[in-house]
Amino acid sequence: MAKVTFTLNGESITVDEPLNMRFLDILRMKLGLTGSKEGCGEGECGACAVLIDGQLVNSCLLPLGSVEGRNVMTIEGYRKTKRYKILEDAFIEEGAVQCGICTPGMVMASESLLNQNPKPSEKEIRIALAGNLCRCTGYEMIFKAVKRAAKEGEGLW
Amino acid sequence: MKHVIPKTYKEALEHLSEGTYKVLAGGTDLMVKNRSWSETPARFKQDMLYIHNLDELRYVEDKGDHLAIGALTDYETLLRHEAVPKVLKDCLIEIAGPAIRKVGTLAGNIGNASPAADGVLLLYLLDAQLVIERKGARREALIDDVITGPGKTTLSNEEMIKEIRLPKSTFTKTQFLKVGGRKADAISKVAFAGAVRIEDGIVKDLRMAIGAVNVTVVRLREVEKLHTGETISAVQDSIVSIKNAYVPHIKPIDDQRSNRVYRKRVAFNMIEDFIMNMHIQD
Amino acid sequence: MKTKKDISESIRKVDSEEKISGRAPYTSDISVEGMLYAKTVRSPIARGVIKNVKLPDMPEGYYTVDASDIPSRNVVSMIYEDWPVFAEKEVNFIGEPIMLIVGPDKETVMNLADNVEIDYEEKNPVFDFSNSGVRLHFDKGDVVNAFERAAKTIEYEYETGYQEQAYIEPQGFVGYIEDGGYTLVGSIQCPYYVKNAVMDTMGEDEDKVRVIQAPVGGAFGGKEEFPSVTACQLAVALKKIQKPIKFIYEREEDMETTTKRHPSKTKMEAALDEHNNIIGMRSRIGLDGGAYIGLSGVVLSRGMLAVTNAYTIDNLDVHGDVFLTNTVPNGAFRGFGAPQMIFAIEMFIHHIAKDIGEDPYVFRKRHMVKQGDKTSTSGTFRDPIILDDMIQKAVEISNYHDKAKAYEDRDTYKGIGMSWFLHGCGFTGSGESDIIKANVKLRKDDEDNVHILVAAVDMGQGPKTTFRKLVADILDVPIEQVTFNYPDTRYVPDSGPTVASRTMMVVGGLLARAAKTLKEDWKEGEEQTVVKQYEQPDYVEWDQDTMRGDAYPAYSWGVNVVEVEVSKVTYEVTVTNAWSIYDLGKAIDERIVMGQADGGQAQGIAYGYLEVMNHENGKLKQKNMTDYIIPTSVDVPKMENHIMDNPYPLGPYGAKGVGELTLVGGAPAVALAIEQAIGRKVRKIPATPESIMELIDNG
Repeated sequence: MAKVTFTLNGESITVDEPLNMRFLDILRMKLGLTGSKEGCGEGECGACAVLIDGQLVNSCLLPLGSVEGRNVMTIEGYRKTKRYKILEDAFIEEGAVQCGICTPGMVMASESLLNQNPKPSEKEIRIALAGNLCRCTGYEMIFKAVKRAAKEGEGLW
Repeated sequence: MKHVIPKTYKEALEHLSEGTYKVLAGGTDLMVKNRSWSETPARFKQDMLYIHNLDELRYVEDKGDHLAIGALTDYETLLRHEAVPKVLKDCLIEIAGPAIRKVGTLAGNIGNASPAADGVLLLYLLDAQLVIERKGARREALIDDVITGPGKTTLSNEEMIKEIRLPKSTFTKTQFLKVGGRKADAISKVAFAGAVRIEDGIVKDLRMAIGAVNVTVVRLREVEKLHTGETISAVQDSIVSIKNAYVPHIKPIDDQRSNRVYRKRVAFNMIEDFIMNMHIQD
Repeated sequence: MKTKKDISESIRKVDSEEKISGRAPYTSDISVEGMLYAKTVRSPIARGVIKNVKLPDMPEGYYTVDASDIPSRNVVSMIYEDWPVFAEKEVNFIGEPIMLIVGPDKETVMNLADNVEIDYEEKNPVFDFSNSGVRLHFDKGDVVNAFERAAKTIEYEYETGYQEQAYIEPQGFVGYIEDGGYTLVGSIQCPYYVKNAVMDTMGEDEDKVRVIQAPVGGAFGGKEEFPSVTACQLAVALKKIQKPIKFIYEREEDMETTTKRHPSKTKMEAALDEHNNIIGMRSRIGLDGGAYIGLSGVVLSRGMLAVTNAYTIDNLDVHGDVFLTNTVPNGAFRGFGAPQMIFAIEMFIHHIAKDIGEDPYVFRKRHMVKQGDKTSTSGTFRDPIILDDMIQKAVEISNYHDKAKAYEDRDTYKGIGMSWFLHGCGFTGSGESDIIKANVKLRKDDEDNVHILVAAVDMGQGPKTTFRKLVADILDVPIEQVTFNYPDTRYVPDSGPTVASRTMMVVGGLLARAAKTLKEDWKEGEEQTVVKQYEQPDYVEWDQDTMRGDAYPAYSWGVNVVEVEVSKVTYEVTVTNAWSIYDLGKAIDERIVMGQADGGQAQGIAYGYLEVMNHENGKLKQKNMTDYIIPTSVDVPKMENHIMDNPYPLGPYGAKGVGELTLVGGAPAVALAIEQAIGRKVRKIPATPESIMELIDNG
């Protein structure tokens, strides 16, 4: 066990857990934040993706020991933002959600993209989402949702 | 077992000098290899040093004759840095997806020493020099001399990679070609990186590196040298003998991702494709 | 006066917000006070007899649960009953469950599970197609005569591989004891399959087993019958331990030990007359069932019925076998036997045309079904067929003919392929009326809120939205006035499983009838309940023994066009474009249907060229998401899909089946495109770069 301090959804937090725990488990079990999902447990599917210092990271491959001092945003924090509302609305309007298990990760990936590139091309969207597997949608409606969000949320990113 | 987050690089070397620690940088390989049941800690078999937050090892600096890359610089950062060679970016953009690229590092790729590691392939191509340190000592070595086999390196338990140096070079054409199971998020079945500098129809610098076809990346400097100084057509006319020179070194395996016949064929196709099109500039 | 909107006009899905925000409680998100964790101990060998089991010292509070704890029958009740809850004496596949270790601390549970020592007497495993477990046959016309008078016969064999559902959420349940009974909350498609199986294994009455659907993170058939296995195991554990238990599969465990799409081998033989018309066809299909039959016989049946796809062939002889092998049992997967057969027949009909030197497009059109034709099982295509118009549209939007001509130039390494196909809606034959007997209930409370009570599961395909929309539309009330909660068997009647593209046509059809009755009898401010039960349409006649008659009450239709480029250097396939046209009667929500079209097509195309799974001596080689490859956002082509209305008189607003239709034609379309690009006949999928290289080398 060791104390690790980091910023979680805007607030400083200290946890006392083994450094070799997966950060995903810290979020889900210890902190009750179950919005980040486990799909594969080996960094392939992106369902567990969170933002670390504003960029997309798979929390299932992140040991707690790597989070010290970092700024973490999960879907639970992100959903309180204006940007989230734009993305949520776009995902619904475009039908980008089916089973939904990949969706929180997909939203975090979209945020990470738009934060760095507010007007992405379809090719750039595809590359940015390539680490987030979706088995339901064939991705087409997710691409449309990200495009819609970029348009509707112009100036926010 | 001990688990430590060093506050400084110096402190990290201090811990390493005990000789019992394993360094975890991005964790993208180690966390998979030592995966346990969900909600239980990773099953590491030795003391662990979590160096992810040593920001002092995150830098890309243009040193005139070479590019110096701090060991913890992640792929996403490299992709955005203007001084990073195009062929390396062509490779990095095809590694996994953004979330892995944000924590994945070239140094970690070296430490893992997978023959299918795309990043390592490019380090071979670019003659990367590694700055390796331990408490009170420092050495520099060519990438070829550090990786010795699958998962094997000359790094001792007390050492870690501090920096990767990419000597500056100019190429008239480069190529990175990878076959994975799909177009992203895939481990290479076979991968190729090539670079050439042609001046006035003469091949001045020729390099080819092939991944996932042997225990380490295949780069045959003697074959490259043999054809340096030749005209384009002379090199292209020698395609059969060039390919023959690679025959003893292209020894792929069958596994869950592909088979040896395919890997072998494609490796030679890639060599031929690069040589026969090397005069067509990017 | 407000004009009523067309039912197809899309609305916002009602459950998107809770999913996007991460609030939806999937099974693994659920915690119950004091719960224990269960881990499965499995067979490491493909076939053998258990000689001795040596348990590690079990600390206080840790339990083993095995066959000896089963109160009633050690069999998982599904259509065919041969799948044990726990292996008792014999093991028949690698990964077969032998016992559970259950306890409060996961690390301890894991270590205990790792230290169970089991001695086996190994037996020779069977992996080839030699041990038939189910054999089916049907015929039509006089095939012997057709082959006797044939001017020519042509024969080919086709092979398909495994396909893994690869839902992103692994299998799982949380179970607890409630009022002396067993409550199971899980990621499932069929609450009543689970409930009935558990009742059977436990020897319990109906009121002692309660099954609740949690939000399902993808299923595709993978959560049709398989969850009954883990549910029975969990119920046995609950009875023994009397504490809540969480039982979630890890990804590798899920991939290595749960059902998949059956690998298949199909032999096709056609008799042609002197005008090059197909006058007869013999076909023999073999499915690899794995170690237990389970649903495989039904999968085989649906596959066999699709043998002539959208072509009319008068004389037929069709044999099928499910072969038992010492591998993981295979089972339901979107399409249910049809994808294997549609691949075989679509390739075969092209290969015949190529062999006789006729344009495949012309040859196929000549054999295409028309309204009034007899089906493969001598039933009748009663309803209008608009396939001609659909093909016309597909040809136009894809510029099919020009491309098909241009890509005949082999140097382009490009190809375009077109499949057309049908899919029977609902259960095969008399399944709906004899086995399922679906019931639905609408309850109106005294505030005039209407509650939909059915066991249909929303696993992403949208019934939470479309059922409410449908009922609200008929009742002419706002959708907010209609509720549809996650099914809980305590409250909902058995409206049947969420399978076989039956949800909207059959369950939705019953709901529509119930809503009409409620509307006619609407009493404001009063509680009212309407129940409807499935009735077979009068015209449907089916003889299960001879497999003759109307196998389905209705058919949905589709056309897929796929365009590819093959790399000369690496033989990799890039799918550049895909177009599709569907006749699914009438879309209850166009965007939801389009979502099915995109997703089904992505799965179907990937089945044809991308997704590789195989085993070596019974051990699956691709056991995680790294090695089992499904398409990413950079693999899927640009897709353009259209629907064409062709309302089915007995469907709600004319709706027929959707879900499976969108998958079944993808593989032949991409395989045909690859075939053109490389100038070689593709007879095996997935057409991987490795196999494309072989084809180019050896033809």
